[in-house]
Amino acid sequence: MGGGSRAATGAGAGGGSDSARGSGFGGGTRAARGSGARSSGGSYGASRSPDPLAARVDALGELLGLSRTRVSPDELAEAGALLERLGERRRLSLDHTVVALAGATGSGKSTLFNALAGLELSATGVRRPTTAAPVSCSWDPEGAAGLLDRLGIAPQDRYARRSVLDGADRVPGTDERLAGLVLLDMPDHDSAAPGHRDQVDRLLQLVDVVVWVLDPEKYADAALHERYLRPLAGHADVTLLVLNQVDRLPGDAADQVLDDLRRLLDEDGLAVGEHGDAGAVVLAVSALNGVGVPDLRACLGQIVAERGSANRRLAADVDRTAGRLQSLYVGEGAVGLTDPAREDFVDRLADAVGVAGAGEAAERDWARAAEAACGTPWGRLTGERQGGADRVARGPAGLAASRPAVDEAVRALADDAAQGLPVPWAQAVRDAARRGGEGLPAALDTAAARAEPGQPERPTWWSAVGAAQWLLMSLAVAGVVCLVAIAVGSLDASWWLPVVLLAVGALGGRALAWACRIAARGPAHRYGQAAERRLRAAAADCGRARVLEPVAAELLRYREVREQYAVVAGG
Amino acid sequence: MGHSATVAILDVRPDLLDALSALRDRVDVARFPFPLPGAARARRTRQELIAQLDDYLVPRLRTPEAPLLAVVGGSTGAGKSTLVNSLVGRRVSEAGVLRPTTRTPVLVCHPADRAWFSDPRILPGLARAWSARPGTQDEDGAAEGELLRLEIDDALPRGLALLDAPDIDSLVARNRELAAELICAADIWILVTTASRYADALPWHLLRTAKEYNVTLATVLDRVPHQIAEDVARHYAALLTKAGLGDVPRFTVPELPESAGGGGLLPQTAVAALRQWLAHNAEDPAARQQAAQRTVVGVLDSMRARMPALASASAVQHAAAVRLARGAEDAYAEAAERIDGAVTAGVPLAGEALARWLEYPHCGREALQSALAEGLATLLRSEVDAADERIAAGWQRDRAGAALLAEPDGRPDRAAAADRIDAGVARWREGLTDLAYAEVRAARAADRAPADPEDAAALLATVLLGGRRGSAAGERLAETVGAQAALRMRDRAREQLEDGVAGLLRGECERRLAPVDGLDVTAQQQSSLIAALSLLQKER
Repeated sequence: MGGGSRAATGAGAGGGSDSARGSGFGGGTRAARGSGARSSGGSYGASRSPDPLAARVDALGELLGLSRTRVSPDELAEAGALLERLGERRRLSLDHTVVALAGATGSGKSTLFNALAGLELSATGVRRPTTAAPVSCSWDPEGAAGLLDRLGIAPQDRYARRSVLDGADRVPGTDERLAGLVLLDMPDHDSAAPGHRDQVDRLLQLVDVVVWVLDPEKYADAALHERYLRPLAGHADVTLLVLNQVDRLPGDAADQVLDDLRRLLDEDGLAVGEHGDAGAVVLAVSALNGVGVPDLRACLGQIVAERGSANRRLAADVDRTAGRLQSLYVGEGAVGLTDPAREDFVDRLADAVGVAGAGEAAERDWARAAEAACGTPWGRLTGERQGGADRVARGPAGLAASRPAVDEAVRALADDAAQGLPVPWAQAVRDAARRGGEGLPAALDTAAARAEPGQPERPTWWSAVGAAQWLLMSLAVAGVVCLVAIAVGSLDASWWLPVVLLAVGALGGRALAWACRIAARGPAHRYGQAAERRLRAAAADCGRARVLEPVAAELLRYREVREQYAVVAGG
Repeated sequence: MGHSATVAILDVRPDLLDALSALRDRVDVARFPFPLPGAARARRTRQELIAQLDDYLVPRLRTPEAPLLAVVGGSTGAGKSTLVNSLVGRRVSEAGVLRPTTRTPVLVCHPADRAWFSDPRILPGLARAWSARPGTQDEDGAAEGELLRLEIDDALPRGLALLDAPDIDSLVARNRELAAELICAADIWILVTTASRYADALPWHLLRTAKEYNVTLATVLDRVPHQIAEDVARHYAALLTKAGLGDVPRFTVPELPESAGGGGLLPQTAVAALRQWLAHNAEDPAARQQAAQRTVVGVLDSMRARMPALASASAVQHAAAVRLARGAEDAYAEAAERIDGAVTAGVPLAGEALARWLEYPHCGREALQSALAEGLATLLRSEVDAADERIAAGWQRDRAGAALLAEPDGRPDRAAAADRIDAGVARWREGLTDLAYAEVRAARAADRAPADPEDAAALLATVLLGGRRGSAAGERLAETVGAQAALRMRDRAREQLEDGVAGLLRGECERRLAPVDGLDVTAQQQSSLIAALSLLQKER
């Protein structure tokens, strides 16, 4: 019964002062969260200005709004229901604290309820299960009707206690401190009677504080620990555990059982508020002979006086929901499109268009044009005849982007962008990329056609070289004519001059053509590269507008959601 | 006591035992890997069936003269250990206020029956431990393997053993399973509940199971405060009658200081009725035969419902495997179709390959061939990836498929697939070159103008992969090697391409389905379960 005496000392010392709260009922966590604790202290309707829960509630609303089109409704159902509950509870009286007595059949909930109320309000009995519908008792019932409506308590099962009238047979001073308490006697959670467990599960969602009434026989039941205490481990602040029926235990067995219970709670992950730590209060009582009941009353009085339990419970709910949503909103690793990923995407698009081949083709075009302009007239004649076939082979069609290559580029980019994202958001990124990728090949074709190099510009030196070639050709022809004339004897001149003319004309033309070919290499290469660059830029523009930007927008949206989630989770 | 303990209560029937062992083997190999509706239940049923066959049914049929085993089961704190101790008359099992109390099951029998329980005839999964003093080795038992503690006491009649089982609702999951297993091993089920627990949902599940198997059953309403005894007992009886268990023997044990404090024994008068009932079942030959036979027949009868349930769960599993396989096969069939269409439309002759072709032959034969091969490989990679995406999307909608995708090797290794595709394309290209060399050699022998085989190969690849865009290549190929040879080459190369692609896709599809095949969910499972059942029915 160690827990009980500790709580009793706390209550006796301060009667609702901060020091008492710290020693008895989970002061540490509350101070850290600060939800409503600062505005407590017994003053009705005090301003609750620093309300961190409000920010978390708003963020939860935002989060749901941003997620609606991305995450399946099933996964958001719980969070949606919580948002609704948050709104409902916060609209109703926060000056009242709803405390529910829960427990297995036969643990003595109704007896304890009556002991706390000081009147025989709830039927008790030996036939199991006894209580089939919840019964309520409100101290200072003004303003509690809304709460009771929300809990679905039948009008005939609602009782009220005026705090002034109560206490004739109680310790003086304790009664006023219960003002604002709405006590609930619930059905059991483990009987074979149909519907009881459903009622309990529904009510447990709605109440502010739960008092688990255990008994020496059932305190280790799997039904209690696995179904309720483990999932509610985060609600230690608003949980009390009362070992009832200690009158059935001989000697020091009660302390042994309490220690064992604390061990089990520890295994459940439920923090036990010992030695002034935050956590659930554990008490030993006997509703039958009244042992420990004053301690419980004092403890409840303190909770009610603080008026912070409603918000604290809701905060614990938000914590739990945030924990469950974590896998939907928190991925592993860095998020965002890396520069290497963007570059890789552009490279792949360029390959899909075929910029390397097009660049080389442009280079060859330029070189060919240069040769046509600067070659020997004779060579040009024969060259054109040979190259005619190629010209036909090219046909009218220009470049066409490779659809599979574009698909692959988009897929690789989407995979890269989706890396480390939670599943729904990774899917959203992939969808955005896929949608953008659908029209991309056609767009690339259009862009490539626009960026295709026109006829190469003719540099002025081509004309000069062309003229020089004609000159050299005429020299050679003149040499030939002279030689012929000398040979037939119509011209009387020495033979070497025409030979020199012929040699200069023929060899000079070849040499000039060769020199020009060498000289044209550089400009041709530059021309080809310029063409490649232009095509690549056109492809990159296309890819950016159609895929990169929508993907980046989706990532931005995720980051926004992630920030809202951080507020919800860490408020 | 006397000779009755050795009288055979059933005949040994080898055929029935054979049928049962065949049935056990079939049940043992049945697998329910997909998390489909009914699978968890089927897995439990399978476990339960095996445990019941090994621990109870087969041993009982093989050695009908063995002592009866009565298992005391119930919730935490129902007072099972105190009850067993009181029946024996000394502390054999640890009782106490801390829950759960009994961590190691304790079996008590008459000294003369000791041999029946010391060998692994029943409960072969539990190591035996002998101890003179209770409560010394509980902690060790939990640590290393599972123990069954044996106690002997001549306060028990011959031919009957009592087993104190762990809690059926223990917080320790293994205790719970063990309790279920032990209860299934019993000839007589003694279910203990208390005045504050008799309406709990859990014990009622057990009672319903007992009713389903039609076992020899007794219920004990324990820890009843005497002032409310009559009221509670009447209410409990009414509940039992409502559940169709009105004829089950009921025993009421009052709440006494001894039952709360632990350690103490209840006075003999408190458990006299139960004691007497047990002794009657152990010693009276007719009662004994009836008790044993009823449970045997009940369990055998329950097979009629349980085996078809297993078989239908197995059918559901097989249907899921077939569904997943069909999903994958459909996706790859679609991929094959799409690849065929794309090749006909000349999709691989685009991008780099097209740029090269537009410049052919200036760009060089090797450049065109490589670009075309890469174009083909890209098409195949893209379609295989798309097929995998379709499979994943389809499987994700299926619970079985989603579970498979969540496995570490559930997603395909795309890099490895890309390597396989590249290798396949390289092979196809080699085949193409070989073909070109052979045809050019033939053309040369037929006194045609000499042609370059690499050129022919490049043109051939363009014709095959270029669709209409590559039609000019066909004309040039015909010019180079002759119209007849060109046609022949095209047909051969197309055939090779189709074979190669089909083989590649088949390989990928098989690889994708390997996890499903690995689960070994076959259609035979269902039929073999049913066959085993009908064999059993015939032998009965």
